[in-house]
Amino acid sequence: MNCSKSIRVGFIHLGCYVTLLCACLSSSRADSRGDEFAQWLNQRGAEIWGKSPDKCDDLTFVRRVYLDLLGRVPSVAELRDFEQLGGDRRQRIIEALVFGEGERADRYLRLSAEHLARQWRQVLLPNGSSVLASAVGLENWLATQFKNEVPYNELMRRLVLVQEVSATDSSLTGQLNYFQLLGGLPETYAGNISRVMLGVRIECAQCHDHPFTQWKQADFWGLAAFYSDLKAVTGDDTTSKAGTLGKIQFEDKEYVAKFLWSAAPVAQNTLALRTRLAEWVASKDNPNFSATAVNRFWQHLVGRGLYPDIENLDTAKPEERRFADEFGRRFADDGFNVRRLLAAICKSDWYQAESQPEAIDALAFYRPMKTVSPEQVFDSMEESLHLPISRVDPTAPRYTGERLQLISRLNESSGRSPADYAAGIPQALLMMNGRLTNEAVNLESSRLLRSVAEAPFFETQDRVETLYLSVLTRRPTVDETKAINAFLDSHTDEVARKRAMGELLWALLNSPEFVLCR
Amino acid sequence: MSIKRFEAFSRRDLLRISAASVAGISCSSWMPRLLQAAADKPLPKACILLWMPGGPSQLETLDPKPGHANGGPTKSLATSVAGIHLAENLPGVAKQMDDIALIRSMKTREGDHARATQLMMTGYKPMGGAVNYPVLGSMVAQRLQSESSQLPGFVSISPFRISELGPGFLGPKYAPLQVSGASNDPNSRANLTVENLAPVGVDVKGMSDRQHLLSMLRGSIKASSESVTKHASIYDAALRMVETNGDGAFNLDDEPAALRDAYGRSRFGQGCLLARRLVERGVPFVEVALDATANATWDSHVNNFAAVKSLCEVLDPAWSTLMTDLRDRGMLESTLVIWMGEFGRTPKINATTGRDHFPDAWSVALAGAKIKGGQVIGSTTPDGQEVKDRPVSAGELFATALELLGIDSQSSNMNGDRPITLVDAAKPITELI
Repeated sequence: MNCSKSIRVGFIHLGCYVTLLCACLSSSRADSRGDEFAQWLNQRGAEIWGKSPDKCDDLTFVRRVYLDLLGRVPSVAELRDFEQLGGDRRQRIIEALVFGEGERADRYLRLSAEHLARQWRQVLLPNGSSVLASAVGLENWLATQFKNEVPYNELMRRLVLVQEVSATDSSLTGQLNYFQLLGGLPETYAGNISRVMLGVRIECAQCHDHPFTQWKQADFWGLAAFYSDLKAVTGDDTTSKAGTLGKIQFEDKEYVAKFLWSAAPVAQNTLALRTRLAEWVASKDNPNFSATAVNRFWQHLVGRGLYPDIENLDTAKPEERRFADEFGRRFADDGFNVRRLLAAICKSDWYQAESQPEAIDALAFYRPMKTVSPEQVFDSMEESLHLPISRVDPTAPRYTGERLQLISRLNESSGRSPADYAAGIPQALLMMNGRLTNEAVNLESSRLLRSVAEAPFFETQDRVETLYLSVLTRRPTVDETKAINAFLDSHTDEVARKRAMGELLWALLNSPEFVLCR
Repeated sequence: MSIKRFEAFSRRDLLRISAASVAGISCSSWMPRLLQAAADKPLPKACILLWMPGGPSQLETLDPKPGHANGGPTKSLATSVAGIHLAENLPGVAKQMDDIALIRSMKTREGDHARATQLMMTGYKPMGGAVNYPVLGSMVAQRLQSESSQLPGFVSISPFRISELGPGFLGPKYAPLQVSGASNDPNSRANLTVENLAPVGVDVKGMSDRQHLLSMLRGSIKASSESVTKHASIYDAALRMVETNGDGAFNLDDEPAALRDAYGRSRFGQGCLLARRLVERGVPFVEVALDATANATWDSHVNNFAAVKSLCEVLDPAWSTLMTDLRDRGMLESTLVIWMGEFGRTPKINATTGRDHFPDAWSVALAGAKIKGGQVIGSTTPDGQEVKDRPVSAGELFATALELLGIDSQSSNMNGDRPITLVDAAKPITELI
């Protein structure tokens, strides 16, 4: 492809870029489902990393796309449907989940927007951030943006702008929320904008010039100065006073608004200072913006960033970030279309590669097993265990507070990247002995066990297979089947055998495979 | 019924394991330790933090000012050490003064609950979250936790904790195991439990079935990654806790009723007793929080004198019994006891007979761990408004505590590629060590 080759010429050559852009746009119009984009990822990846590893099997693939795109495991019915699709079933299921095609379209689009919103809320407010209030408003706002197909750059632009909005304009409260959630401090917000969107951590330069990187206090406070006229809405109003836009004081020194990687202050004679910042940050010509974007999406889906240290992209050598840069440029040329990006990554050989036990080295391709997030754990249990989900059902754990409880307990100890498994003893105890598990493995209260036990034409092997498919999205191996048959045979009377099925379900829910995405 | 059977099994199992240890096969971590104690070797160091969230008034506890208007109606009380007086609310603690050192000159500058809590739990000033600092308990657990222990290295016996304050960049391995005491009602006997420790509706056979199947499933994972290994080690630790019912630490019924009464049948009193049992079983850091009684909190903006009196009725027997109990068992020399909140209270009494937040001049207490007890570090002016001499910062307090536990306070932990010293540029209080 000519297009991709010349793109590497990059960002300074604006003149030739415009003509290329037209070429790319026309090609992307034809590539409405991200197929060419996926081809490009395959080719370019092969040039950089060498041949891609073997593809994972179908069931592993289906488990991945459901968890990654909808935030839960597939139901047994969905698995059967998938297996009915033809030879291009992987393509077709990706399109169904990403673009909302087929009979479950509305549901899939809603779930996928909600899942994306959770992931990006987590990016905006990682665990351990001090926030002033619940992030539900921000997350709902994000879900609306994704549902309405707002391009990625526009979404980020809206966050940078922190427009003052009227209280009645509820669709925009998320913007206000992010600034206020972080405490309503210019310096905190600037640090987060830089971290989230540019992959640069400049907050260490808050108190002193950073010892290991290029960042100086003038950079940090220069970015904070874009927000110096804003103040916190909550808290003690007497201590927080709004300053003048474009100038900020720290330790008796005044800093003026300026962009990163630039020494020149931004001209003060404009009222729309933050608009200029938003344009600069979210510009398709800002390589750090688009490279960080694709790096984050890639990390969410594949498990490790193209450049693994996502929030220190500025420390990467040019050859270490080459792929992310080229990929970002392509994403920008495609109009920052999120759905096509998701489809392209999922369709690529890299996404579909078998997972590997460990990375060979920092720059090689690596497909780790990912850790399932707390929300994915609950939503998967809800799906596999046939938990009641209706709003009017008073026992539906989603609405009784049980979902929130499980998620907050699991969140007390969650990893910093998708590959990081970080649960501690309290989390293990919850999965082992918590109420959801107890009810699930008890024939009296378990919808799944009952449906398996009472299915009229089921042989033992069908029952076991259904439990495996429901929880782990796979069938038992030959060895497992042997071991399980021997185990079940050791329970002679009918009651003990039924209980034994419950213990098998307990083991499936507590196996590493349930909380990891293979 | 099935739970009882399982617990009975566990106890029997424990006895069997213990018997094996005596016979020379070391399976249990605490039997060898008891033998070690018998051989007169030093016990491993540990710390019990008596945490008083809300900010207790120093004037009604460690630094009374009778005779000054700011002192209010609170009288002072002679202690076992001549010349040192405590407030009348702490008669039991006063008798333990030989082993306690007071610091009456804390000066910390943070007057907001959240910020001050962060400072007094991590030793670092809140800096907008740029570095996720670990709390003292996690730092100590990381240095002193024994790999062979059945229990985690940091246990928190608190009705609630601020979830942002935890192991920080040290990671979940050093997160506190939280023990909730759901109720402070004496009739429920302050039932201190670890959530989800007891399996429900499964018998011993079922438990062994589960483990059998779980190990089969572990074996089927093709690509064995770091996550799989971590999962297995956390699950093994959790299963060990379930099987041994937390090494038996939580069976407070095993203690003589008179001792339980002496600690006080409150959540905090029984929590202090549990802390001793945990330290005995090799847990290096236990936090026990006392935040409220039925009608009072330490945050005594209103009705300060009644509030502090009510809280001290719970605090005094628990703290003083903890001291005697540790001493009787030969554990006081190896166990550091810290009493503190996030700040003190204003000496000036406000219009609602209360005292407000005050970080300028307040008090903490340290005991045990071979500290030079029976002394007072620093002092406040007669009106209590200022530190008169020897101001002590949070960092100095942290450095002192760490050094008393045998941990180099100037050593570092890595936060990614960046070394962070345990305590930021502060020296221990040499008079205490």
